[in-house]
Amino acid sequence: MVLSWLFFLPPDVFATQLHAASEGIITHQVGHLFFLFSMVALIFTITGKALDTQKGWRLIQYSAIFFILWNLDAIAAHFFDNQIQVVKIENISLGQIRVVARNGSPVLAWIYYGLKLDHLLCVPALLFFYRGLSCLVSAQQQVTVKKETP
Amino acid sequence: MIVSFIPILVVDVVGSVAMVVIALLCLNKARRLRGMDPANAVFLYLLWISTGFTIFAVSRSFGHILRQFLILTSNAETWHTLAPYSGSVNTVSFMLVGLITLFFKQSWHINEKILSSRKRLEETHIKLVDLNQTLEQKVVARTEMLTSSEHKARRIFEQSLDTIVVTDEGFRVSEINQAGVALTGYKKGEMLEKKMGLKDFMAKASEWERIRGLLEVDEYILNEETDFALPNFSQVRVLITGGVDYGAFGCGKTFHFIIKNINDKKQMEQQIAQADKLAALGELSAGVAHEINNPLGIILGYTQLMLKEASGFEEDLKTIEKHVQNCRTVVSDLLSFSRKGSPEKRRLDVARVIDNVIKFLSNHTDFRKVEIGRGPLPMLPLMVYGNEQELAQVIINLIINACHAVGKNGRIEIETGETKDRQVLITVKDNGTGIRKRHFSRLFDPFFTTKPVGQGTGLGLSVGYGIIRRHGGDITARNREKKGAAFTISLPSAPAEETR
Repeated sequence: MVLSWLFFLPPDVFATQLHAASEGIITHQVGHLFFLFSMVALIFTITGKALDTQKGWRLIQYSAIFFILWNLDAIAAHFFDNQIQVVKIENISLGQIRVVARNGSPVLAWIYYGLKLDHLLCVPALLFFYRGLSCLVSAQQQVTVKKETP
Repeated sequence: MIVSFIPILVVDVVGSVAMVVIALLCLNKARRLRGMDPANAVFLYLLWISTGFTIFAVSRSFGHILRQFLILTSNAETWHTLAPYSGSVNTVSFMLVGLITLFFKQSWHINEKILSSRKRLEETHIKLVDLNQTLEQKVVARTEMLTSSEHKARRIFEQSLDTIVVTDEGFRVSEINQAGVALTGYKKGEMLEKKMGLKDFMAKASEWERIRGLLEVDEYILNEETDFALPNFSQVRVLITGGVDYGAFGCGKTFHFIIKNINDKKQMEQQIAQADKLAALGELSAGVAHEINNPLGIILGYTQLMLKEASGFEEDLKTIEKHVQNCRTVVSDLLSFSRKGSPEKRRLDVARVIDNVIKFLSNHTDFRKVEIGRGPLPMLPLMVYGNEQELAQVIINLIINACHAVGKNGRIEIETGETKDRQVLITVKDNGTGIRKRHFSRLFDPFFTTKPVGQGTGLGLSVGYGIIRRHGGDITARNREKKGAAFTISLPSAPAEETR
């Protein structure tokens, strides 16, 4: 009887926690912070291992610096529009938008406009990473040639 | 604030496409890098991080492009529905990149360990290769030394003038050098085929038993003298040294012998001993003859005086005179044997001396049934410096002895020649009974004779020996290979200036 009661008529136990809508943006921001921290760690590790004397690793360090900047850009943008919601964009026409700052500050609006151009940071970051890998490939090719040359 | 949307749109769309393209290029580079050194953990790490960037770029770019497309096509509501999903994927992707990045240090340590292990492995490999090469060089050097040593040992074995024999445990010949083949008179193949042993070379079985006994007790023998019997029935005196070899590397027990031919040395020693003995006898004979000669002269003088007067003892006195004369002949011979110098010497043609002797003896009745021959005559006359009567006396003595040895219908041959060291040889050969071995050492002793009592004084050869020695020469005797004896006189050839 007890078993059937427990099975067919269970009471609310609240075993699964309910998540608020703001949790998504906080998780995203933490993700950006984590990415930023990992890039900082990469820069210090490369320096600590004295790899920055090699061009390839130095370029990868530059890449990490750009990714840090990009993360800061993204965190700030998300902070303004998603978290504290002090600024928003309204589409006026196909070629024009209105950046609306809650306090009407044009400085904040311009800052937000600039922050929206984040590809200007992440694309160079990836380019530096690519260049770094290219240099490491060249260096490795030279090592291989040296080994094969008697 | 109203601003142009174009910059944001262009940067967003172009940047998104660029992100995807560059991320894929990064992935390609990372794969190449990894392909160059698959064991490198850092390269593996870069491949992972490139993969993470690619996922990140694709998810983010797809979201951005989709957003711009939906907003521009007035489907903002649809974008609001999809936005959380796109954002979540984007969040996961760059968190993944961050996570992978944090593993760089660990990847580096792993790579360092791998590199360190590889380095040690390479060093060990180099050491091993070096050791291997050193080992090969050592093997080559040792092989060369061994070959050189073997070559030396082989040369010593082959070139040795002494016999070197290796036998098995049963003393059967297993190796013998060329000197051994020459000494024993057997061919090597014959010895091996017939499984000949050392005992087969021994002249006396008892000698072999004695030597084998020594070998069994002491396991070596040192300078043991014995006689080898040769296939031509002659004997050779040898000195044997040998010992056991227990071998190595599983080889069986063997015996090694060095056998020295001392026949010539022994003969020379005997000749020297003979010469010394005869010299001593000469001294003794001279003293005795001198002491006896004077009393004999007095006895003979008084006997002859008494014979001049009639006394009734004439017969007795003649007997005394006859025997005293015999005694004086013997004493005279003894003096001839021991005389220090010859009365007169001159250049002599040996052939002429021999011819005169043969001519003189051919009239003697004893030589009428004996054939006296001359060997091949030399192209040039053989000249010696000496006393003709004395040399003729020696040759006559030798021929008389030969005549007695051959008996009736015998043959005596006289040969002459000259050696390279300018020694003129006169050999008197006969086909008689030969000389007994035990008589060799006494042949030239005064009063030694094999003739019946009364038929010889035993002074002929000793007188001849004395004469030849005074002429600076030598006289030797030997048995001929077939039958009979041969006496050889060697005299120094007269100097060339004197022969002109």
